[in-house]
Amino acid sequence: MDVTADDERLLIEAAQADPARFLELYDRYVDRVYSYVSRRTGGRAVAEDITSAVFEQVLTHLPRFEWRGVPFTAWLFRIAANALADHWKREGRTSPEPPPDVPDEREYQNLERRVSLFQLVDRLPETQRQVIQMRFVQERSIREVAAALGRSEGAVKQLQLRALENLRKGIGSHG
Amino acid sequence: MADQTLGDRLDAVIDALIARGDASGSLRDQQLAPLARVAADLRHYPNRDFTARLRAQLERRTNMTTAVGNPDEAGLHDGNPAEAGLHLREGFTTVTPYVWVPDRGFADFLVRVFDAVETRVADNPGHGIHREMRIGSSMMMIGESGEPNRPSRPIALHVFVDDADATFAKAIAAGGTSIGDPADRPYGERSGFIRDPYGNSWYIATPLGPESLAHHLRSVTPYLLSRDVRGYIEFLVRAFGAVEEVVVGDGSDIPYARARIGNAAVEFGSADPMPGSYFLYVADPDAVYEQAVAAGAKALAPPADVPSGLRIGFVEDLLGNQWYIARPA
Repeated sequence: MDVTADDERLLIEAAQADPARFLELYDRYVDRVYSYVSRRTGGRAVAEDITSAVFEQVLTHLPRFEWRGVPFTAWLFRIAANALADHWKREGRTSPEPPPDVPDEREYQNLERRVSLFQLVDRLPETQRQVIQMRFVQERSIREVAAALGRSEGAVKQLQLRALENLRKGIGSHG
Repeated sequence: MADQTLGDRLDAVIDALIARGDASGSLRDQQLAPLARVAADLRHYPNRDFTARLRAQLERRTNMTTAVGNPDEAGLHDGNPAEAGLHLREGFTTVTPYVWVPDRGFADFLVRVFDAVETRVADNPGHGIHREMRIGSSMMMIGESGEPNRPSRPIALHVFVDDADATFAKAIAAGGTSIGDPADRPYGERSGFIRDPYGNSWYIATPLGPESLAHHLRSVTPYLLSRDVRGYIEFLVRAFGAVEEVVVGDGSDIPYARARIGNAAVEFGSADPMPGSYFLYVADPDAVYEQAVAAGAKALAPPADVPSGLRIGFVEDLLGNQWYIARPA
């Protein structure tokens, strides 16, 4: 579902006035931030730590965010970029890519596509979703997934194929 | 059959993506390439257990905001916790170290070494002397028991000064013992470590460069030591609505971590605990006291109004630190 700039502004102003409304902002942006961070880090644990730090900071600083021609997303991704830079500095190394920056138009479109994809995953038939979760999140082998689901490896490969075909079609119709 | 073959080829691509982050071998396969692109994006699919956990953590924090005050990082320098219903005296944040010593020699040490300024002193008959000192932008409270045999409760503190070498030398001259001579540290500071005559550890630092931790801290920050830093932070999250900011390392080896309680930063390191005392200013001491006890803190005394105008309750945490949970007068 697309959100208009007015909707976004109302949501942010509501969260500024009532911290409990912050969770609505979180629900809207967590996949975008995680995806942005994940592409720039090596592992899920690090991406999760940085994403946590980003939302903690957003919650801390939101009362001071002001609409002065800067979109909320630019502000949000600036915090994420700084969190990444802090992480690399703590690790004592420079960025594996050029210094992090807020997404440009092209990357933002890619982020939106990925977020749509993730929403489609959440709506997959349960067994297909479990296969995606185990293969991509838990990084388990087909054999391990088959054992966990009590199915043959061939059946799990079919489920995996069907899931990805469903997602590809869903993304195609989405875009 | 064709699907079966495609399924095998797709599986090999996913294995390559997971192992090497590389699916380039699939690009010439017209049937496989669109699926491989979806698979590449799925590597960034968030773990839903994680997003749910983070959501719950943020929800706890939003619930705590009204009880403990708005943890406003910028407020370390110029914020106004009063916006959250918490009216702190000038210079104070939500957490203030309270150092128990037998006599006023400790206050003299602070003046001599850190150019501390005494801002308040009160004689509480039967309870010794309460003294408040300002070091740079930070406040410290001191309880002087007047009883030479009463054990001190030394703590560890990270202090930023203009010239770490000069302050380190002053600390040694004032009776401190070196536990680490000044050196440039990889975390963006030059620092030397001393133990003062009362057993407190001081990490005396001068920022080096823009990456310094000093940008996240006031001039004096409590440095809490634990053999289970992560577990202790989790306790502080549950007890006081602390917000974890940085954890470096894994398992039992966590050389550095930082969290925020209200608008005050606290730091952590893996070492044997130095149980001390800390003043915790909150808007609703009764609610925070109950929450701390529910989180596993030992109840020492429930909140009560005291003649100075404070409402204050006392708990002891898992490490033996005592927390004076108080609403300012």
